[in-house]
Amino acid sequence: MSDTDEEVITEAHGAGGGQMRELIEELAVSRFEDGAADVPLAALDDGSVQRLANGGGSLVVTTDSHVVKPQFFRGGDIGRLAVSGTVNDLAMMGATEPIALTCSLIVEAGTPVETVERVMESMGETSEEAGAPITTGDTKVMGSGDIDTIAINTTGVGVVPQGSHVPDAGLSTGDKLIVTGTIGDHGISLLSEREGFDFEGDLESDVAPVNDLVATAMDAGEVTAMKDPTRGGLATSLNEMASKAEVGIEIDETAIPISGAVASAGEVLGIEPLNVANEGKVVMGVESDDADAVLAAIQAHPQGEDAAIVGEVVADHAGRVILDTGFGNRYLSEPEGEQLPRIC
Amino acid sequence: MSDRARASVTVTGVVQGVGFRPFVYRTAVGNDLGGWVKNTGDAGVEIRLEGGREGVESFLDRLHTDPPPLARVETVDVTWGEPVGEREFEIVASSDGGGGSGTIPPDTAMCDACLEDMRDPDSRYHGYWATSCVDCGPRYTVIRSLPYDRPTTSMDAFPMCEDCRAEYEEPADRRYHAQTIACPNCGPSLELLDADGNRLAGDERAIEAACDRLTEGDLVAIKGIGGAHLACDATDPAVVERLRERTGRPEKPFAVMAPDIESVEAFASVTTAERDALTDTRRPIVLLEADGDQPWLEAVSPGLHTVGVMLPYAGLHHLLFDHVEGPLVMTSANMPGAPMATTTEGILDDLGGVVEAALVHDREIVARCDDSVVRFADGQRRFVRRSRGWVPQPVPRWPAVDSAGTDLPDSGSADPPDVLALGAEFDATVALTHGEHVYPSQYIGDVDSPETLSYLTETVEHLQELLGIDPDVVACDRHPDFLTTEQAERYADRDGLAGPIAVQHHHAHAASLLAEHERQRAIIVAADGTGYGPDGTIWGGEVLDARLDDYDRVGGLAPFRLPGGSAAVESPARILADLLDDPDRIDDLLVERGVVDRPSDAATIRAQVDREVNSPVTTSTGRALDAVSALLGVCSERTYEGEPAMKLESVAAGGDPIDMPVPRTTVEGRRAVDVAALVRRLDKIRDDHARTDLAATAQAVLARGLADVAIEAATDRGVDAVGFTGGVAYNDAISRAIHERVADAGLAWLGHERLPPGDGGIAVGQVAVATARQR
Ligand SMILES: [Fe+3]
Ligand SMILES: [Mg+2]
Ligand SMILES: [Zn+2]
Ligand SMILES: [Zn+2]
Repeated sequence: MSDTDEEVITEAHGAGGGQMRELIEELAVSRFEDGAADVPLAALDDGSVQRLANGGGSLVVTTDSHVVKPQFFRGGDIGRLAVSGTVNDLAMMGATEPIALTCSLIVEAGTPVETVERVMESMGETSEEAGAPITTGDTKVMGSGDIDTIAINTTGVGVVPQGSHVPDAGLSTGDKLIVTGTIGDHGISLLSEREGFDFEGDLESDVAPVNDLVATAMDAGEVTAMKDPTRGGLATSLNEMASKAEVGIEIDETAIPISGAVASAGEVLGIEPLNVANEGKVVMGVESDDADAVLAAIQAHPQGEDAAIVGEVVADHAGRVILDTGFGNRYLSEPEGEQLPRIC
Repeated sequence: MSDRARASVTVTGVVQGVGFRPFVYRTAVGNDLGGWVKNTGDAGVEIRLEGGREGVESFLDRLHTDPPPLARVETVDVTWGEPVGEREFEIVASSDGGGGSGTIPPDTAMCDACLEDMRDPDSRYHGYWATSCVDCGPRYTVIRSLPYDRPTTSMDAFPMCEDCRAEYEEPADRRYHAQTIACPNCGPSLELLDADGNRLAGDERAIEAACDRLTEGDLVAIKGIGGAHLACDATDPAVVERLRERTGRPEKPFAVMAPDIESVEAFASVTTAERDALTDTRRPIVLLEADGDQPWLEAVSPGLHTVGVMLPYAGLHHLLFDHVEGPLVMTSANMPGAPMATTTEGILDDLGGVVEAALVHDREIVARCDDSVVRFADGQRRFVRRSRGWVPQPVPRWPAVDSAGTDLPDSGSADPPDVLALGAEFDATVALTHGEHVYPSQYIGDVDSPETLSYLTETVEHLQELLGIDPDVVACDRHPDFLTTEQAERYADRDGLAGPIAVQHHHAHAASLLAEHERQRAIIVAADGTGYGPDGTIWGGEVLDARLDDYDRVGGLAPFRLPGGSAAVESPARILADLLDDPDRIDDLLVERGVVDRPSDAATIRAQVDREVNSPVTTSTGRALDAVSALLGVCSERTYEGEPAMKLESVAAGGDPIDMPVPRTTVEGRRAVDVAALVRRLDKIRDDHARTDLAATAQAVLARGLADVAIEAATDRGVDAVGFTGGVAYNDAISRAIHERVADAGLAWLGHERLPPGDGGIAVGQVAVATARQR
């Protein structure tokens, strides 16, 4: 038939949007029994949360595989990304003091040792910066061409006091939404570098561990939900938060911090910064009364000077995100795989 | 004295809810006949007549020659019998009881008789704007639920006075059972407010005062039948410019209303068919060829050779033209992205910053209904919007057939499952089926904001309630990002509807054309702006071997890229980065056309194409025309849907095609028109020809190319008909060219007249496909 697709994994499935979520739910979640975790696999949160015996707090576990092209890029490299990604996922659950990280390497035969060395060096530095010791690991080598240079899996564990974890689904009406800095830097910078696009202005990945920044925010007030807007960007994170909590989110588009370089590169390429990855930013829901205090604390942190309140949680249009563009409202949808124009 | 006769008459067609029984009563009494009339359960009317044979015959003639404006008499069955001595004529309650009717009529213009009443100084309706009768006035926009009876309309807020009640109960009166009957004593009233809602004047004085404002150059919101308009003096470019600035519509054409056909002819040319459309009781906006000598038209309809015109349809409009000469701009009162305002609060909240005054009334608008818009292309009336005046009248739901083209045996069970179709996302309408009928909704708009989405869901609920429909299946577009697709999933989850059945966009366009022509199969050219293709690319220049349940993509335009995705839709010069091959020429054009400031950024856009970064592949005819528009410097920045291609058409209208062969190629074994080769050829000869001729050439070559591909496919596959659908079918020159070539090839031609070729027709197409697939 002309109107049917054969089901294969496509790159769109890996783009971090709804297609990937559906695939995971269908293939994995339905098959794995994960007991009575406080935050189970089925929540598709940044990590899982399980109570430890004897009231010894809750265990937070997260895991992430990292592949990136190029492996060394402006503002970071795959090693820094591998540590930051997992540290940040722990932090997004409220576990800002990681107990241990693992490091599992898969390397392509023929890769210069020096390359691996530089990556390990960077991982070491970042783990120190984040206060996240790497305590175990594994290495595999695959044939030339079976993998592109290097892939790194990291798993992280942390502990939070029982019940004090921060789920994606924690938003409630009235909460303010804060983003901790400029949006779109990693995605736009990496793409430009990979494809050899030349832009005026400084484009640089924002890859960094944000656990200290998150700890600062959580000390300053009640943080109700958090996500790090990686693949799929801020648009995807906001949509996930809205649908998991079954609330509406209203965002003031003009309040979203975006650097001049990212904005103009995005314009030339027709790419919306809200839809691309960040690797050192957080979007968080904060109780309304605490919003100013939390914002001030974030802005006082070296990683948070561009932080801004960008919107709030409303009871209407549950599960959806409304963008006030200054010329009217429109829905902010999450990019599904490759973005296709909708307008006629 | 002539001999007496008795006749039993059965009438079918559109004869209920359109004032048919009072018409029968008046005609019978006028001919001195006894007997009775009643509605039958199957939407017909049954009549007994007794009296002089001549009178009976004259009655039967008038059934055909003079029915009420909205009625459509299909069959009249007469059986003669023996007189039984019946002298009185009466209207008998229908078997389902009550005076209410089971069908909902659309809104129509004030009829001539009511207009006369309003003009007659001795009439109690003199000067009263809300005068209506059984033949005219608001219907769909005021009805809350069935049966159609005063208490179920928004007229229930206005209890009839004694005079109105008397006419309402008098069978010989034109207002007998006219549910919207009202007079100055008991009916809705007008007032003029300032932008803050303070009352400036009331009733008759309100109209005069509003007209004073309009004459002085103010912008005035006017609450009408299905919603509010923004009005101003169309002949004052400074005022029109102010309206553009305040509503953020720098270029969008505004419709104008002129008092009568003579004044229309002063600024536009009107064919006979266009005159009929303008004066039709449904009163659509008709896109006419503008008269280039009128300097004010450029401000109303910038860069276009057409102007949208309508004649007054509400009493209110007629009264306005007692005080202003006109024409007036009358454009839907809404801010971009939001549906038209329908309440006084809505007008003041949304448009308080736009207008200086608002002329409002206190009759609630139950259902918003935008003006319908038609354009004659290739001599056929094409709906740009099928809305006020037509909605909620059904179109036939073509019975399901299989792809071999044979009717499936009737299953013997009841009707096929009822379908709710949500259409595409932009210019959306929805459609619901009930048995053999499809009810397309009014125009809803671009469903990308909370306001339009709730308009969509309200419309679905209202139609379900009015028509008593409980759909079994939901259908939608295949575009995964459309909000209507997501909404379809919600309907499926929440209401337990089967589906969603996702229908490919151009298959839906083609199916709507098949349905309109009650055809099972044809080769169909579906040419439009954007539709999601199952291969993940953007289709829009497709030649399909279309059946109701499925299709083969047999040819069309060759693919090209849209560098920047949506940005290339907004700035079509970007597309030239793919279509042209000389890097310096591309960089010059991208800077010249304002896409980028620096040549280095233009180089990045070229690199973006080479690297296939955010450069989706398309076969869209709309985008190809947009690219030519940008190439020729006609329009490089799209501020409203279709703008670059529409302006290209207007430029082309002043030129003649240059003789140029169609560049052809083959794509994955399919016949294709090579868009890039065409654009490169046009660019090469750009200095030797007038821009008007180059524009005409682009259209002619694309049209000829698509026609040839379709004709060859029809020949190969032994299909005897070729059709044309999609938004490009509004283009007169392209429509004509394709039609002509198809006719020359001896094939049957299918064009749209009853359903919009644009995305407003998608929902009905989805219904057709879903119906076929349900069998
Ligand atoms: Fe379309
Ligand atoms: Mg989280
Ligand atoms: Zn009337
Ligand atoms: Zn009255």
